[in-house]
Amino acid sequence: MAVYIQSAAQISIQSPLCDDWFTNPILREGRYFRCEEPDFKQFVDPMSARRMGRLLKRALASAKSALVGYDAPLDAIVTGTGLGCIETTEKFLLAMLKEGEQALPPSHFMQSTHNTIGSLVAQHLKCHGYNNTFTHRGASFDCALQDALMQFDLGNISSALVCANDEMTELYFQLFDQIGYWKREEVKAEMFHNAQTEGSFAGEVSATFLLGKEKTNNTLCRLDGQVLMYEPGEARVREAIDQLLKQGGIGWSDIDAVVCGYNAAKSNDEVYGRMVNSLFPDVAQIYYKHLFGESFAASAMGYYVAAVCLKRGEIPAHLLFKGQPVTPKHILVYNHFQNKDHSVALLSC
Amino acid sequence: MSRIVVTGMGIVCSMGCGTDQVFSALQAGVPCVGTVRHLQTSHTELPVGEVAMSNEEMILMLDLPSDMVITRTPLLGMVAFQQAIKQAGLTDATRTVFVNGTTVGGMEKSEQYYLEFFEGKHTEYIGAHDCGAGTEQIGRLFGHLDSMLTISTACSSATNSIIVGANMIRSGRAKAAIVGGTESLSKFHLNGFNSLMILDGAPCKPFDRDRNGLNLGEGAAYLVIEEEESALERGARPICLLSGYGNACDAFHQTATSPEGEGAYLAMTGALKQAGIAPSDIDYINAHGTGTGNNDQCESVAIKRVFGSDVPCFSSTKAFTGHTTSAAGSVEAVISILSLMNNYIPANLNFSNPIEETGLLPVTKGRNDVRLNHVMSNSFGFGGNDSSCIFSKLKI
Repeated sequence: MAVYIQSAAQISIQSPLCDDWFTNPILREGRYFRCEEPDFKQFVDPMSARRMGRLLKRALASAKSALVGYDAPLDAIVTGTGLGCIETTEKFLLAMLKEGEQALPPSHFMQSTHNTIGSLVAQHLKCHGYNNTFTHRGASFDCALQDALMQFDLGNISSALVCANDEMTELYFQLFDQIGYWKREEVKAEMFHNAQTEGSFAGEVSATFLLGKEKTNNTLCRLDGQVLMYEPGEARVREAIDQLLKQGGIGWSDIDAVVCGYNAAKSNDEVYGRMVNSLFPDVAQIYYKHLFGESFAASAMGYYVAAVCLKRGEIPAHLLFKGQPVTPKHILVYNHFQNKDHSVALLSC
Repeated sequence: MSRIVVTGMGIVCSMGCGTDQVFSALQAGVPCVGTVRHLQTSHTELPVGEVAMSNEEMILMLDLPSDMVITRTPLLGMVAFQQAIKQAGLTDATRTVFVNGTTVGGMEKSEQYYLEFFEGKHTEYIGAHDCGAGTEQIGRLFGHLDSMLTISTACSSATNSIIVGANMIRSGRAKAAIVGGTESLSKFHLNGFNSLMILDGAPCKPFDRDRNGLNLGEGAAYLVIEEEESALERGARPICLLSGYGNACDAFHQTATSPEGEGAYLAMTGALKQAGIAPSDIDYINAHGTGTGNNDQCESVAIKRVFGSDVPCFSSTKAFTGHTTSAAGSVEAVISILSLMNNYIPANLNFSNPIEETGLLPVTKGRNDVRLNHVMSNSFGFGGNDSSCIFSKLKI
């Protein structure tokens, strides 16, 4: 059964709630960037907004933006978040550690569960339908997407919001810095090619996709399928791609580009290099983390970039990691987290 | 569509380790909450359902390297996970997935070392904090799984893991799934629940008029679920059916339930619809029944909406286990299956008087004079993430 990406909205370290990154990308040099935030007033009334952490406001704004012009029922909300509302979690934790276990304010605890995000979106949209939250590191969004696709496959739903939300606080940036997530030096664009050192640079992502069953004029692309794998060898990935191609009714030579999560970290990038160069030696490769940074939610932007390229029929030069610009009709989105959790998906126009 | 069978179960909670100990404790009918021993908290006045084993004892029992970087949540998970795999006789991980529910994740160590992390101490635990880290440690105990997923919907996490695993099987993405959840106590959520003023300083009294909050607990439980044909093909011995499940969102409030219990109502009716049975076919409900004013009132209203004047036997087993939060869904799934297979309804302990508005009377003494064909297990989470499962005998 065909599932379509009807719309998508993003808040990230690029200009928010628009696709300026496609034509006028902001190229960052540094180690840590926080979101470019939109004016939240049009999405959340200021009274409610005061009680919300930043990530919740972003989640609501991106969800509501993805739904602009949509008035049919919404059947499901599925969220991927690696860390949940870590800012409020930290506030509660620090208060407890510094002031002791007495008289702690409940508001920060209330926002500390990972499903706060997806359930708040449901509250604001008054959506009683299927609601689930995946918290599986850098594959959180990929897991959420699979869950939504299963609900379509099983005939349970006709529409779904699939959301990715992660924030990176200064403290968490420091913690991840301790364990080598970030480069020691400022990350520059050229480091994404032939990465020699470990570590990436930190970004933040709140992205929402509206999925549906009917193609409309606004539809971004078709989502032919997706497969999650744990520590797959090349044979397993090949088998997964065979299955996706079959679902899309196309062959290997019809793939126009592969979206890869190159992030300038040597061991991360080598996995893409090895796997994708072996499977698709002559196919164009698209990268996106040089624009959006690394985070547990970052993989969502791979799908986002692929969907917009398919809709516009163009792969801008600044997204091309390798190969020649083509008018894409079929794009594979490949994501892996620490060479453990792998996901491959086929998107077509 | 092919039926989904349960072929293995594993459990560890305050009632004990393994289904035999847990079933004996249920029959004994004595609350298993008490004074905190392992968790380093100043709130020693609050009763908790703590697992008796220390981390070191579990590491020894599991034959893990004594210096392994691991927190209590995945340790509890490993104990239950191995039991489930063993009972199912699973030896081949091909097309087998692991879906794990947790919210606390590695918080048990983060809250000990957080300030020291910034001084460069104990940094090996930084990467063990997030929910997915523990899932991977547990899953790696068993061969090369096809995929691993982590779910966090607070107190319904484990039920949603059962649902996702089942949907992966039904949609052809897996032939078997190890599903459930694990959660250790942490100072973080003990203080969190305390700040919300929903912890009872005495043993909890689910569904009682004078209930005064919940007791936290910890534990882990997993089910092995499979396509019936492929289970039989490999010579497994199915225990029961996972016949239906429902997931809905109350979409009302972050920590409170709507007065009409809409999410709970939709979860239960969704499960009944999928199982293809009538409300009157349910023989026992293992209720969420936390003992908080809000949950028990709203769950009662929702149960009455679903079952009308013919409410089946029901009980909350939270007074045995404490509220094991992200593990509660699978801990209680195992309890529900033990009830089903033994035709035994466990008691709702500490109950004296019904809630006035609803008048519902839970089963207050263990009953073995019943024949159970279909049992329902409810789990409701913060944010209104409400889910329900139905387990049924293979032959009715």
